[in-house]
Amino acid sequence: MEEEQRPNKILVVDDEPDLQPLVLQRMRRGIRRGRYQFLFAGNGVEALELLRAVGDIDMVVSDINMPQMDGLTLLEQIPSVDPNIRAIIVSAYGDMANIRTAMNRGAFDFITKPIDFTDLQVTIDRTLEHLAEWRSVLKARDQLVSVQNELSIATQIQQSVLPTQLPQGAGFHLHASMEAARSVGGDFYDTIPLEDGRVGLAIADVSDKGVPAALFMMASYTLLRAAAGIPDAGRTMQEVNDVLTETNVAGMFVTMFYAVFDPVSGSLTYANGGHNPPVLLHEDGTTEQLPLTGGVALGVMSGLDYNVKSIDLAPGDTVFLYTDGIPEAINGDDEEFGMERLCTTLTAARDRNAHDLTDCVLTDLQAFVGDTPQFDDITCLTLRFTGTVP
Amino acid sequence: MNVNTETSGNSLVIALDGRVDSSNAAEFNTALENATADSDLGVVLDCENLQYISSAGLRVILTTAKSLQSSQRKFVICTLSNPIQDIFVISGFDQIINIQGSRAEALATMEA
Repeated sequence: MEEEQRPNKILVVDDEPDLQPLVLQRMRRGIRRGRYQFLFAGNGVEALELLRAVGDIDMVVSDINMPQMDGLTLLEQIPSVDPNIRAIIVSAYGDMANIRTAMNRGAFDFITKPIDFTDLQVTIDRTLEHLAEWRSVLKARDQLVSVQNELSIATQIQQSVLPTQLPQGAGFHLHASMEAARSVGGDFYDTIPLEDGRVGLAIADVSDKGVPAALFMMASYTLLRAAAGIPDAGRTMQEVNDVLTETNVAGMFVTMFYAVFDPVSGSLTYANGGHNPPVLLHEDGTTEQLPLTGGVALGVMSGLDYNVKSIDLAPGDTVFLYTDGIPEAINGDDEEFGMERLCTTLTAARDRNAHDLTDCVLTDLQAFVGDTPQFDDITCLTLRFTGTVP
Repeated sequence: MNVNTETSGNSLVIALDGRVDSSNAAEFNTALENATADSDLGVVLDCENLQYISSAGLRVILTTAKSLQSSQRKFVICTLSNPIQDIFVISGFDQIINIQGSRAEALATMEA
């Protein structure tokens, strides 16, 4: 795995000057082959100076008893230069007390005097091998951190395109929320101001998660914005579907509910492309799911028609759009939150405005789920129709 | 998730059981590719023992349907539990994939 071309730099620290020619002679084959490069220091102080000056020394082989600074003190100081430098300590045979101390201070291994050069080479090679593995682990960790950073930026970008200032006007109140799961996901909502005070409302969920889903989500989001100008919700969906399918190489799809809401009349005209049907909550607390329109999830097949259905909202009605992250959220017993609980919560919150009602759902959901980690994006968009006062 | 393949008449019958979600969708895809490769028979995917399928799993089924379709092979899914049937109806995929109530009915459509 180690791809380094340069020789491994080994600093030998000993106050005995005869050691230097001996090491160079015994290790000459490895030196000639470019595997080792030896540097020498006479005590701990010199060793630290060299470590700092050279900057890329891989390992240290150090004697214990030396003037000025001994090997055990040196061991303590090495990490302040570079915590990834490994050290082998050379001790007198049977000097267990010093060997113990050296190992406790972070020596990687030890050899004993008189130095057996075969053993020294084996120990050096083993240390270098360990270093190479250690470095590849560090490298992998750095790469992972950088990928995670990129993913979290992707999540931020995704979130930042979603509108935070929703259209407001006489007769209605809108509120939206999206809590992304840890991995980048593919949910989105949108509120699009249209001609004559009407508002386009969308909620969508891309199949699967991760970077491909995030890219597909951005494409779907942009296409919908572009096609929302078409006055018919069904034709808007048809347009988005055709373009998405044309450019869809990954076989992904997005379920999308798109409605055009007219705050003057209270009419809601919608097309549902394979998405969970929104809940209609009446003023008296009863709930119903908006009937499907027979639309297929988008991105699967081009040329499909998207039929629309239309309902007239009564003042006090609320429409709750959501993704499956809400009903399919599970608690510690693997139970799903489910539609029944969702509807119960909505009924209890029937008098609230869109913002508070959304909070009620999220609070109940949180209480149900407890500490169980969130696997899917949790997204919802609430429209409350208050009606214009005549 | 487990996939068992057998030949019945002029069809490959693939019985799927367990759960398919994002964590094993890739594995499910490979299993279906392996099961359907080296054959030109039509395919019945029997979901009698399928407990759960997420959108990632639906994507695999769609991809399989498309690839079989492009080589003129029939593809039928059968024996869906009610919750899974609902998933196919809501997503609209019941309109583009042939869904039958039982394996016998699925095999009957393969004869035609």
